[in-house]
Amino acid sequence: MKLSFADMSKWLRDTDRSGFLPFRLVVLRNIVVEPLETYLRYGAGCLGINLDIRWGDYDAISAEAVGKASKWISLDTQAVMVFCHLEGASRALAREFNSLDRTRQDAELARLADWTKAVTGGIRSKTQAMILWQGFLTPAYPAQGIFDSQTSDGQLGAIRRLNDAVRDALGKTPGAYFVDLDLCRCRVGDRHFYDFRYWHMGRAPFSLDAYEEIATENLKFLRAAAGKAKKCLVLDCDNTLWGGIVGEDGLANLKLGAGYPGSVYQEFQQAVLDLHHRGVILALCSRNNEADVREVFRKHPDMILQETHFTAGRVNWNDKVTNIRELGAELNIGLDSMVFVDDSEFEINLVRSHLPEVETIHIPMALAPQAGYLLMSSGLFDTLTISAEDKRRGQMYREEASRQHQLAAVTDLDGYYRSLEMRLEIGFVDGFSLPRLSQQTQKTNQFNLTTRRYTDADIQAFAQREDAAVIFVRLRDRFGDSGIVGTCILTFSQGEALFDTFLLSCRALGRGVEDAFLSQALRLAKSRGASAVVGEYYATDKNAQVSDFFAARGFEEIESGDTGTARRFRFDLSRPVPPEPEYFAAIESPVTAPGRD
Amino acid sequence: MEQKILEIVSQIMEVPLESVTLASSAETISSWDSLKHMNLVLALEETFGVLFSEEQIAELTQVGTILTVVAKLAKP
Repeated sequence: MKLSFADMSKWLRDTDRSGFLPFRLVVLRNIVVEPLETYLRYGAGCLGINLDIRWGDYDAISAEAVGKASKWISLDTQAVMVFCHLEGASRALAREFNSLDRTRQDAELARLADWTKAVTGGIRSKTQAMILWQGFLTPAYPAQGIFDSQTSDGQLGAIRRLNDAVRDALGKTPGAYFVDLDLCRCRVGDRHFYDFRYWHMGRAPFSLDAYEEIATENLKFLRAAAGKAKKCLVLDCDNTLWGGIVGEDGLANLKLGAGYPGSVYQEFQQAVLDLHHRGVILALCSRNNEADVREVFRKHPDMILQETHFTAGRVNWNDKVTNIRELGAELNIGLDSMVFVDDSEFEINLVRSHLPEVETIHIPMALAPQAGYLLMSSGLFDTLTISAEDKRRGQMYREEASRQHQLAAVTDLDGYYRSLEMRLEIGFVDGFSLPRLSQQTQKTNQFNLTTRRYTDADIQAFAQREDAAVIFVRLRDRFGDSGIVGTCILTFSQGEALFDTFLLSCRALGRGVEDAFLSQALRLAKSRGASAVVGEYYATDKNAQVSDFFAARGFEEIESGDTGTARRFRFDLSRPVPPEPEYFAAIESPVTAPGRD
Repeated sequence: MEQKILEIVSQIMEVPLESVTLASSAETISSWDSLKHMNLVLALEETFGVLFSEEQIAELTQVGTILTVVAKLAKP
């Protein structure tokens, strides 16, 4: 249910958020946008984030960003939003466009592009925080009326070129992102986006609907950065993937095809497939005879989704709560990474009440024609980057299924590992691997010793430090390429090394990759002259499986909190580094050669 | 309507409901600054489905006045 602005204010006043993840946001602006605060803090609260918002002074973007000392931005700032309203940045482009010739237009654009670079660079020099630049809005009624769209010299063309230049500048700054306010304006509708009274009374340009949509859009960035993007879409079958009930109506009578009404479901399937192609894992969850559903996938000529697109499924007569729990366990992902779609209010409510961590999207029959739109508008799967890895993820999970199959055929584990012909590549972070590494720190929950979330800019900063090293491990085997599956950040201080970060993707678990990667990291520390390596473990509600990781590998425990939520371990490098497991077919490493000390 | 207005004022100004009466105003509630006033106006408009004029916005700095103006604008 949608809450009103007053309801959200009440929720914020009455809800204890002390256990939430703290997040410090600074807003720089040349307009008044304070009503955003309520929507941002409420939306963040729903994600378990307690947002602390500092408002930069009105019209002080340059002073805050470029000036020597900033009143609000500090090293512990985690995100900076910049609202630069065109009117304030260039009255000429916004209000006097028709008096500009092309030369002056270009000069204004160049001046603004340079200024953007200076502001972005200035913020970056003060903090590694994520920068969320709110794009310039284009007018619904451009300066030259219907002629404006006939030429690239019009006001629309000029503002689009300006946004392109801003996007370029942001692209060169790691951790800086373009928030497309024009998309927000489209969704709300231009007529409902502005509040002209408050524009004149207090330089506050937007309506309440606009603030809400702008907050929603920005929260997608925070969600992704906080590692809370969803990974898996769990789909019902009857009246969700196709119209009708296969067990009752029969294969031939299902609504599915290019023409109405089958097009409703075919279009939804296409939207699901496109999400899958950007890395979303698909799973089926249907109360049905498995053979009936299988028959639809195999025999129906108009199915867009194929069995091969699904990584797991539960098609049976068990309740969906049990089935979704099992799917999570099988896929090795948390329930809070899953989104469940169903047409039945009963099933949705059952899942909502028993598995509140699972996000649900209810698409009753009346809304089926816009199912794909509802799915995309949720933004639940949005990530800061979409890597080549993401596009292959579905295939990688299917390869994993083949491995499990192989495992069933082999009885001794080392023999099985050997039969996989696993090859590891260890490398130092570079431009290609950087987005994947930061993404791993944002998304990995289970095999993650410290669960520190980093942006591209953070990783870049580590890579540039003399007293730190960032390495990754990539895994290939006879079934395919799993890509980069592990990230390790070492920092060096006073002759000792510290594991700032050590994590492994769940799809690489249980194959000894962590042992080989750890040995490599220890060798690296040794080659850099460290006398010992310190490993830390910080408990979260997800990473219990690694609480004894260091202890089980010859580290000595040096300190632990009373509650066991933080533990410290030490490995003395005068001792031999444990050898990498022998069953790897190859370990390629520029770090240092594997072997025995 | 009166009760709802008292609630909204207390929520937006972040003060206990018991402390808000029809006599409360920007003078008596210290958190009632111009930004909070904008939030209050927008929240009232959303809740009651009304639209205030600029003159009315300037007048709405006292809870009793808010009730009078909203009652006049809100559809029965």
